[in-house]
Amino acid sequence: MASYQADRLKEKGNVAFRNASFPEAEDFYTQAIQKYSNNPLIFTNRANARLKLQRWEGAVNDCLKSIEITGPNGQNHKAFYFLAQAQLALHHPHEALSSALTAYEQVRSPAPNAKIGPKDLETFSGFVLRCKKAKFAVRDRERLRREGDLGAELEESLEAQKQRELDLVSAQLERVELGQVEASERGEEILENFDRKVAELRAVFAAADPTNHKSREIPDHLVDMITFEPMHDPVITKNGHSYERATIYEHLKRSPTDPLTRDPLTIPELRSNFGLKAACDEFWESGASDWIGDW
Amino acid sequence: MAGMSSKRLQKELVKIQGTLPPGISLVSADNLREWLMDLSIPDNPIYPPTDTYRLRFLFSQSYPIEAPEVTFLPLQSPERKIPLHPHIYTNGIICLDLLDAQGWSPVHNVESICISIQSMLAGNTKAERPPGDAEFVRSNRSRPRDINFLYHDPSV
Repeated sequence: MASYQADRLKEKGNVAFRNASFPEAEDFYTQAIQKYSNNPLIFTNRANARLKLQRWEGAVNDCLKSIEITGPNGQNHKAFYFLAQAQLALHHPHEALSSALTAYEQVRSPAPNAKIGPKDLETFSGFVLRCKKAKFAVRDRERLRREGDLGAELEESLEAQKQRELDLVSAQLERVELGQVEASERGEEILENFDRKVAELRAVFAAADPTNHKSREIPDHLVDMITFEPMHDPVITKNGHSYERATIYEHLKRSPTDPLTRDPLTIPELRSNFGLKAACDEFWESGASDWIGDW
Repeated sequence: MAGMSSKRLQKELVKIQGTLPPGISLVSADNLREWLMDLSIPDNPIYPPTDTYRLRFLFSQSYPIEAPEVTFLPLQSPERKIPLHPHIYTNGIICLDLLDAQGWSPVHNVESICISIQSMLAGNTKAERPPGDAEFVRSNRSRPRDINFLYHDPSV
């Protein structure tokens, strides 16, 4: 009985959601949960309403509750997808990426009775990429800042060393252990040495700084020829060309042909390209997020 | 997903603003739905080198999974005519296999389409319109990609 009343309220919430009355939708879902709190779908629906209202923390809690009900290995791709969105909005790109990957894996190989939307694979795949970019952008920014700090620290210690050497020379001059001419020659030598070392230090750090690599491009073999985006789950065709899984699926749904050769091609004939996937992962790890640009 | 066509077009635009093959130039790409390109044809007496032809690209949200709609656009000023070719109708509609649903492949792009059309014109030897041109132009109400062209003369 309680679950029947909850379903009625959930239905009202869905209507409100479709009419873009998100506060009202959230309210109906809350009432539904008060009647019956064991239906994971009500929690995912409320999470979706809360995403629209930008109540990220509430959305995270709803998704976690929904996932708790379906169990850690249960099919619940929507909850993982909404969770990833909220986590990304809360600037937790690591967690967001892991949730997005779970959602993606769940639509890639769904449970037998799972309801998968026709655009889910493509949407989730795009979102995985977004999380990846966010995660590595944060990491690379941190690394740059650390390197900046390290560079500054090294420059300071060079500066301190220069000062010690100069002090020593003036002490020796005072004690008349050095003549005036010799002392000024030594002083110049110290300054020259210092300038050269600072210049070298800066050159080394500049060479290691990926922001100086803007002109570099993502290697072609890591880019999906259909979307022009870097790949994260590449599959290979009979002819040896690789594409991002979600985009080649989308193409094959309309035209069961190899995009390059026009030979007949179907989804079951595609194979995961693990080697290329490893190369893609390595590319992200290499601190490349800066020159991937717009997202 | 709406994101696919706009991201892909943004990336194409960056490339196109860099370098393009001779005789192909970008006129405008003010939004990610409609682009205009200019085309000139080298080494073919049918098309004087001073003449330029304007192509209009219309992209759907599903580009590049779906082909763009590509037609020639007539203009008074600057003067842009519809090139004379047995596969190009006087209303600017082009009968080219890579532009219809069967012939399209998502690995094509704006630049490769321009190159294909440019070479289709460069290799042309017949200064004529398709058979039934007047009748087609008068009666056609379909979008180019919904027309079932008969490729009456694949050698052209």
